[in-house]
Amino acid sequence: MRKQRFCDGIHRRDMLRFGAAGAFGMGLTLPSLLEHEARLKANGTETKDTSLIIVFLQGGLSTIDTWDMKPDAPSEFRGDFSPIATNLPGVQISEHLPKLSKVHDMFSLVRSFGHANSNHGQADHFMLTGYPHGPGFNGGLKPNNQKPCVGAVIGRELGPRGGVPPYVCLPRMHNSAGSSYLGSAATPFVVGADPNAPDFKVPDLAPPVAVASRRLNDRRSLLKTINRYEQSAIIQANQGARAMRTYQEKAFELMTSEATKAAFDINSEPDAVREKYGRNMLGQSCLMARRLIEAGVRCAFVNHIDWDTHYNNFHVLKNELLPKLDAAMSSLLTDLEDRGMLDSTMVLVTGEFGRTPRINKDAGRDHWGPSCAIALAGGGVQGGRVIGASNERAERPATTPFGPADLMATIYHGMGIDPEREFLTPEGRPVPIVPGTGRVISELF
Amino acid sequence: MGDDYSRIAVTPANIALEGKDSSMQLLVTGYDADENPTDLTHLAQYSLDSEIATVSRTGVIRSRQDGASVITVLFADHQVNVPVTTSHTHARITLNFENDIIPILSRYRCNTSGCHGKAEGQNGFKLSVFGFDPIADYQAIAMEGRGRRVFPGSPQASLLLRKMSGGIPHGGGIPIRPDRPEYRTMRDWIAQGLPVGSKEDATIVSLEITPRQRIFKMGETQQLRAMATLSDRRKLDVTELTQFQTNSPNQAVVDALGHVTAGQSPGMAAVMATYMGQVDVLQVFVPRGDAIDAYPDSKKSNFIDGHVLDNLKKLNIIPSGDCDDEQFLRRVYIDTIGTLPTADEARSFLASKNVDKREQLIDQLLDRDEFSTYWALKWSDLLRVDRLALGHENAYLYYNWIRESFQENKPLNQFARELLVAEGPLRESPAGLFYKAVPTANKRASTVSQVFLGIRIECAECHHHPYDRWGQKDYFGMQAFFTQLQYKPSRAGEMLLTSGSPVTKHPRTGEVVNAYALGTGMPEQSPEGDRRQVLADWMTATNNPWFASNVANRTWAHFLGRGIVEPVDDVRLTNPPTNPALLDALSQHFKDSEFDYRRLVKTILMSATYQRSPDVNRTNERDEQNYSRYLFKQLEAEVMLDAISQVTGRMEKFEGVPVGSRAIELWDSSVPNYFLKVFGRPVRATACECERVSEPTISQVLHVLNSPAIQKKLSHQDGRIRAIGVDFADNKKAVQEIYLTCFARYPTSDELAAAVEYLEQTDDRQTGLEDVAWSVMNSLEFLFNH
Repeated sequence: MRKQRFCDGIHRRDMLRFGAAGAFGMGLTLPSLLEHEARLKANGTETKDTSLIIVFLQGGLSTIDTWDMKPDAPSEFRGDFSPIATNLPGVQISEHLPKLSKVHDMFSLVRSFGHANSNHGQADHFMLTGYPHGPGFNGGLKPNNQKPCVGAVIGRELGPRGGVPPYVCLPRMHNSAGSSYLGSAATPFVVGADPNAPDFKVPDLAPPVAVASRRLNDRRSLLKTINRYEQSAIIQANQGARAMRTYQEKAFELMTSEATKAAFDINSEPDAVREKYGRNMLGQSCLMARRLIEAGVRCAFVNHIDWDTHYNNFHVLKNELLPKLDAAMSSLLTDLEDRGMLDSTMVLVTGEFGRTPRINKDAGRDHWGPSCAIALAGGGVQGGRVIGASNERAERPATTPFGPADLMATIYHGMGIDPEREFLTPEGRPVPIVPGTGRVISELF
Repeated sequence: MGDDYSRIAVTPANIALEGKDSSMQLLVTGYDADENPTDLTHLAQYSLDSEIATVSRTGVIRSRQDGASVITVLFADHQVNVPVTTSHTHARITLNFENDIIPILSRYRCNTSGCHGKAEGQNGFKLSVFGFDPIADYQAIAMEGRGRRVFPGSPQASLLLRKMSGGIPHGGGIPIRPDRPEYRTMRDWIAQGLPVGSKEDATIVSLEITPRQRIFKMGETQQLRAMATLSDRRKLDVTELTQFQTNSPNQAVVDALGHVTAGQSPGMAAVMATYMGQVDVLQVFVPRGDAIDAYPDSKKSNFIDGHVLDNLKKLNIIPSGDCDDEQFLRRVYIDTIGTLPTADEARSFLASKNVDKREQLIDQLLDRDEFSTYWALKWSDLLRVDRLALGHENAYLYYNWIRESFQENKPLNQFARELLVAEGPLRESPAGLFYKAVPTANKRASTVSQVFLGIRIECAECHHHPYDRWGQKDYFGMQAFFTQLQYKPSRAGEMLLTSGSPVTKHPRTGEVVNAYALGTGMPEQSPEGDRRQVLADWMTATNNPWFASNVANRTWAHFLGRGIVEPVDDVRLTNPPTNPALLDALSQHFKDSEFDYRRLVKTILMSATYQRSPDVNRTNERDEQNYSRYLFKQLEAEVMLDAISQVTGRMEKFEGVPVGSRAIELWDSSVPNYFLKVFGRPVRATACECERVSEPTISQVLHVLNSPAIQKKLSHQDGRIRAIGVDFADNKKAVQEIYLTCFARYPTSDELAAAVEYLEQTDDRQTGLEDVAWSVMNSLEFLFNH
């Protein structure tokens, strides 16, 4: 169960303020982008036209029942499911992922993965930023980021491509998807609606029907002339107002972008495709993520809840969750491949942690950070590899362990972002995008 | 360099060290002609011609043999001699596990939740987090693992020592090398046969660091010394075993050995020191670099301003001037009654030539119904008026008790008392519904502490509060006040009763804990009858250290945008007020006026500090901490929705409440409304003020720009904008009316010209007026209070 605690030693509100401070000389400007490209070239790396899709299974995917099965473990560990063969010789995954078993050559697994945190909120922050939570962390805040989410870093570093926002979170915000010190310019655009809903529409993205587009332009120019503080240094000195103005600029860009409008129009997708992904929130969100990347989004973050299987783990996985994941993820990978997008689009499928190898009294599994396999594909990651292994009961890595910092380094490497890169906070403190311990999982490339 | 200082001083002036490896951190301070101090501890040279002790380059003296000598401290042409005596260096002193070993495990963070302190331990070795359970820790070290962790016969071979000192691989690195005194202490303890220690051994009673206050130049440094006082009155230097942490890294950072470095942003920070559950704090003060030669006079309207200006002067920050009447009018309406002034109210206030018109306006607002409504909304958030938990009827009763309390200006201490001691049929004593909304004794203890005292004790439910002095016993002392409560059905409806004298036990030691309030001693006997009376007497007395100050600080934070203690509900020794004199004065004022809430609000509103302009100057553009200017505050969800309804003349419709109800009148925070959700209305799940989100988001911006509901209000045929079009045929007059309605001011000539030109070019005057109103409503001037 999620439990909110307020035992912090640091001022959360300061954290929030800190988070909103970004537009102060931190926004992505053309000069900074050019400078960044020049630096990468000097390092011998080219800027790549890459993107990332995160399929986040919030609550915690049971990896011992899916990616890293232990059929020889005692029954209180191994669980109800049997492994099946995949299209990789000698590699098995869960019997309830039959579609994925036929496309394992397109994705890879890291089985010696884990981290030291088994709490919701804290582990989410760890997996999505590479940094463990610090003093004063409050997982209930939206966002709770003490360090920027990987999506915010990618959006900030690679910048917009076309008229769509660089970083989109769907269907709803994830608490750790925020931008921290990268500020309001790097926060995700949150779709805020379920793409599977029959009347799916991004709220407030278009002006009301009564307001014609010419009138919108008139209103916009009028807005600039009637605001007492519009041209004032006062806005610069007030963080909330500064953030609000940044959002207004972004909002107008969004509203006027044809690409955005087209990307969000999921109804233009053929029925057969929509069926294949699965007519459910996860399936349609994955389909939407593909559409968004096609339109130019750099990071599409699919946040799917319900994976916290403390009770009836096997029943819920078998009948509900795994069929959805199987259809959505296999369709996403094949679709990206068919469209020639897989090489430039990395896909990460993970929860915030795995689940306890020992089955609990409620036929469920509890939180387990120390061992949780992750799945990666595309964007330079070679398919069909299984990196490392966990011990005989999937309690912890048995080979060289990898953790969230390594995952971040790996993603940035694939995106063509220098993992050694440091950002300056608005106060001028340098913070590396990957904590010092993070190393690229080179076996994936 | 020697010329910079007229003298240097070394503390302590003489040193007496008892026992082997005892240490003392010297502090060397240079004073200039004006007696301004500079820390020279890491720059001075130390010499000691004797074998009795060693002295490090950072000024740490450590005993070796018995004797007496003199340490020479040199800096430039200054010299100070410090006599040092050492004794009992060869005495066999039996170590004490809790006093001598646990502090080492804590200092090197072995027992944190990231390492061996986490619930499942680390690699089979588990310690209690922050050492809160010494008995379990002793067992883990001395007995578990078939005793293989420690070998008294050959201490160096102990797994514990080899792991921590790099003898064999350790996932946590090499925290303590063999040449460290901490290593020797651990080794000796093992060699002594793992003594638990005697119950007679002295225990720590307090911690004091030196210095405790310091003005830093940007980038300047200061070494700290931490002294523990023991129950036998001995004082020990524990600097090396103390953990240090800053609350504001932009102003100051601190390393593991207590060396503080000031940052490049002016303001205040607190550097906290923790040792064995005791804490102390260094107040860091970092003024702006360039001093102001002729500090200008600023207006002082009451005692508040003196305290604020004292601080600003010390920080070399010049405050902004007085706000204009237009700014004051809109600001004070929104802050005080959560309501925009109407165009008529604006016209009459702006036209008035009365010199006391601001005070008169404040008095009028304090008398308005909306005052009670607005403050009932805020207290309903904290006191958890939650329909889902209480049911419809009860939630409404409970809310009404809160609102009526504000309506009749009930003294705030009486308000708290009524809630604390409520009993009998809930229909007659609706304050008792608090205990239904917060249904466990544990949660009641932490909620009451957080809401009325501003103290978060929730951590101490499971272990000693890491950053404050509260232990588990203190937590259960508070919890015990609430264990007698029961609900019983009766003919008068559900009753709240207290019955019996249930015993609260310390969950770890099993010790019986009688109810006692934070910071007081536990009584021998459980209080007679309903224990909550004791708590209420204590909490609402004028000498309670927190109650008045907490209410004053929360109220101040509401009006000024930032608490003197921030967050407002996290009062700790280690999170001190940025302006203690101001907080004390406000709190005293509140007590002197017998907890009169309107009086407190009026005092704040009357201050020149509240009435400052939002303008910035070169000296205060980076200051958001010290009240040198009025900070922008985004309108709260309910207030903004009401503002939009008011200026468009179209009320929002809410489910389950009478037509025409305003959003600030909603007693139920779960009434569905998209606008309120997007703008961060709290769900009342906790007692934390932080539930109300005040951060802007792009969804909020898009909603005000594009929401069909708002467009409908703008263009409604019975709406205000249409009425303005009809009533004011002249475009200038119509624009003026829109400005007065939305901004409570007249447009400038440029603004007027731009809007009139727009209206003249548009085909349809009515849609033109809508566009003007739309632009006004989407401006930062509308969305914020300023």
